Amino acid sequence: MVASAIEARRGAGSRPFGRALLVVAAFVAGCDSGPPRGADPMRGGDSLAAAEAELRAERAYADGVRQADSAAHASVDERNRYGGTIVVSGRNDIQTLNPLVATDMESVQHQAYVLFTPLVRSGPDFEPLPWLARDWTIDPEGDRITFHLRDDVFWHDGVPVTAADVAFTWERVVDPAVPFFNPAYFDAWEAVEVLDERTVRFTVRPRSNLLYGWAVTAILPEHILGDVPPDQLATHPFGTVSPIGSGPFRFVERVPGDRWVFEANPDFPEGLGGRPYADRLVYRQIPEDAAAEAALRTGEIDMIVDADPVSARRLAADSGLVVTSYPSAEYSLIAWNTRREPFDDPEVRRALTLAIDRESIARVVRGTYGSVSAGPVGPWHWSWDPGWEPLPFDPDSAGRLLDRAGWTDADSNGVREKDGKPLGFELYSTPRQAWQNVAAIVQANLADVGVVVEPRAREQAALIPLVTSPDRRFDAFLVGWSRDVPLDDRDLWACDRVDDPMHFTGWCLPELDAVLDSMQVVPDRESLARLTRRYESLVADAQPYTFLYNVDTILARRAGLRGVEADARGTWASVAHWWLDPESRR
Amino acid sequence: MGLGRALVAGSGVETLIRYVGSRLLQAIPLLIGVVTLVFVILHLAPGDPTAIWFNPSIPPEVLERMRESMGLDRPLYEQYLHWLKSFLTGDFGYSYSQFRPVSEVIGDALPNTLLLGGVCLIVVFGIGMAVGAWQAVRRHSAADSMLTFVTLFLYSMPGFWLGLMLILAASTWLGWLGLPVSGMTSVDHSLLGPLDRISDIAGHLVLPTIALGLGSAAGVTRYVRGEMLEVLGQDYMRTARAKGLTERTVILRHALRNALLPVVSLLGLYLPLLFGGALVIEVVFSWPGMGRLMYDAVLARDYPLVLAASFLFAVLVIAGNLLADVLYALVDPRVRHA
Repeated sequence: MVASAIEARRGAGSRPFGRALLVVAAFVAGCDSGPPRGADPMRGGDSLAAAEAELRAERAYADGVRQADSAAHASVDERNRYGGTIVVSGRNDIQTLNPLVATDMESVQHQAYVLFTPLVRSGPDFEPLPWLARDWTIDPEGDRITFHLRDDVFWHDGVPVTAADVAFTWERVVDPAVPFFNPAYFDAWEAVEVLDERTVRFTVRPRSNLLYGWAVTAILPEHILGDVPPDQLATHPFGTVSPIGSGPFRFVERVPGDRWVFEANPDFPEGLGGRPYADRLVYRQIPEDAAAEAALRTGEIDMIVDADPVSARRLAADSGLVVTSYPSAEYSLIAWNTRREPFDDPEVRRALTLAIDRESIARVVRGTYGSVSAGPVGPWHWSWDPGWEPLPFDPDSAGRLLDRAGWTDADSNGVREKDGKPLGFELYSTPRQAWQNVAAIVQANLADVGVVVEPRAREQAALIPLVTSPDRRFDAFLVGWSRDVPLDDRDLWACDRVDDPMHFTGWCLPELDAVLDSMQVVPDRESLARLTRRYESLVADAQPYTFLYNVDTILARRAGLRGVEADARGTWASVAHWWLDPESRR
Repeated sequence: MGLGRALVAGSGVETLIRYVGSRLLQAIPLLIGVVTLVFVILHLAPGDPTAIWFNPSIPPEVLERMRESMGLDRPLYEQYLHWLKSFLTGDFGYSYSQFRPVSEVIGDALPNTLLLGGVCLIVVFGIGMAVGAWQAVRRHSAADSMLTFVTLFLYSMPGFWLGLMLILAASTWLGWLGLPVSGMTSVDHSLLGPLDRISDIAGHLVLPTIALGLGSAAGVTRYVRGEMLEVLGQDYMRTARAKGLTERTVILRHALRNALLPVVSLLGLYLPLLFGGALVIEVVFSWPGMGRLMYDAVLARDYPLVLAASFLFAVLVIAGNLLADVLYALVDPRVRHA
């Protein structure tokens, strides 16, 4: 399979675009967190023009969807949008809705938009907007912030949500006995004072994205959890059996391994949008992509969250279904272990990046639902600069750089050497089909410039110790992960954290340290964006990572499900305004 | 079959109880051996439970604290002894990938797997015995040849592939049947009346049962056909016909009963196969059972959950074998009439 990939790439000299995506590789049982997906990169043949035509068709399709949705909005009276059960499926179950321990995207989304009313809400650019807090004031010195809470938000058992709940939540998330996963959200929050039932004041230090943590961390009910010892909060059944929230939907039941069921909260304040349109909202886990696709076609579910690009193509062709996408915080990369030769040489790393055809990789793995990544900040983030270009695909320059670094093919065997040592490395990844496809393309690309790549697949739990343990027994690995809104990448790059688990590359730069430190404390967005630019350019110069592609999250839904306006905040940001065409209700 | 002979020699019930008791006693070291082996293999595998939180935004200190709270910082033998001690006192531990006690997690999933496996077993042996016997009676007919071809075809078909094909069919040209393709209950299950609930689950059982059971049913069919053919060639069959019994009585009472004896022992062998197959089929059909639980738990390195689930699988397999032995003794007429 890998050999044939090289043949196809060398023979045709063209990009494995387009049609390749129609080749289904999904019918094989998977070995890691996600079922296998992606296309067969071995079917090359389409030209760049075809790929562009495809992107145009994609855009035309998206316009059509928007028009149909707005037509439906215009024709169905607001009163007729209430009712029905909306069923959404994803690959993973929501294991807990306990805000203190949940880390998965689905859980955080359900906390922020379905079950709870957080203190603030993120706008489309992640700017903090009033939510449970109807407003806030910051002292002139900037070290105290006072929140004024709404008086019409209630826990689903009827008890009002008060300043005491906010203070309680903060006290727990910063408690060392609680394994809260994002302590950085609140590390600038130093003390709390409840002024009255609806007013709470915090002492803070300067911090960028100061309020973001409050948008994604649900307020906890003190009247239910107040007596639970902090070290037992993580294992308390509140999050798994009987969550009581304060949001637009109330918890109804959970069938473990299958679904969570919520119902509309009729008492949700008018000022926050009032009762949601849907009577019931269901989240179902369907781990197998083919089964989710079938369930969507049979009407068992109304929407697939994070559909794979291959089935997205097929689903978009179905007139009863609609496929949309939005830029997600996920990107993928190759991390080079700069502690080892030849990756300690920035010129070699740059050459490797130049020699890898990232556009083809993005197209093969993501189809039209992704883009080439130029650095640590993607199109989903407010500080993204569309003018920031990735390094080009330029095998000739790559060859020249490698020559200059002393890696030449003196014996003309197709592999470069230096001091008698051939230029080659092992490329680790998990066995997911998408990674295998990427690895095959990287292997073929680098073979063209005389570098031997040996792809190595390791299941995730086995790969992690390999790349995080102090001896770092790896050359390079392929990985994808999701970013968080506050761009705190000191774990990845800081010179004083070189031995920390996440410092995969071992590459660091004192100037970058200063930039990253400043990025955590500058209060205004303009300065933050400027620092982010500097961060990007320092990393681009050194190429400790080869950035591959950004991922768009794909939503496939029945056409009768309306009002799904998803953006980088996530699929559920608009959930209270989702509605079903009257004839689409079950 | 030691039990058969023991029963023939001894006095029925008492011998049976003594036999079952001794088999259960033998099972105890076996079970401890199984979980110990699983414990060792799990810890030999690279990675630990914190792998599921692999994310640059989670600080290493938090993960270290998680490791401590799971006892992963202690020496392996200490972890083992600690785990074994709580396990023997009925404390299965806490599942860190599910955020719930292991006993609760398994309590939710086990009945679902037993339901799927049980229904499957009934279907497998029901179809297998009926079709196999019918084929033997009509041996060498066109229908027999055709069924032989079909059963061999089904027998060699992988269950997960068949499952995916069924899902595809149910969502396209078999869509008019309205068969659910995922899960065990409809989303409005809790709002249904008792009868509707049963038919709801029955509907959800159809496709996974076919996917899980069809291959096994084909295997049993082949086996029963062979046994039947052998029995039909015996002298006592001629005797039965010579007595003037109807062909129906000859086949059902004399031939089938004798042919089923070895089939019963097959039951014990098929139990582990069904539970093993459930591991894949449950993922394909989103069935909330033990197979899927175990699959996720292994990937998440959720040690307590994997250990408890392996223990249960081992118990089921041992119990299945014991059941087969006991059934064998009970249906053997030589035993019954002793």
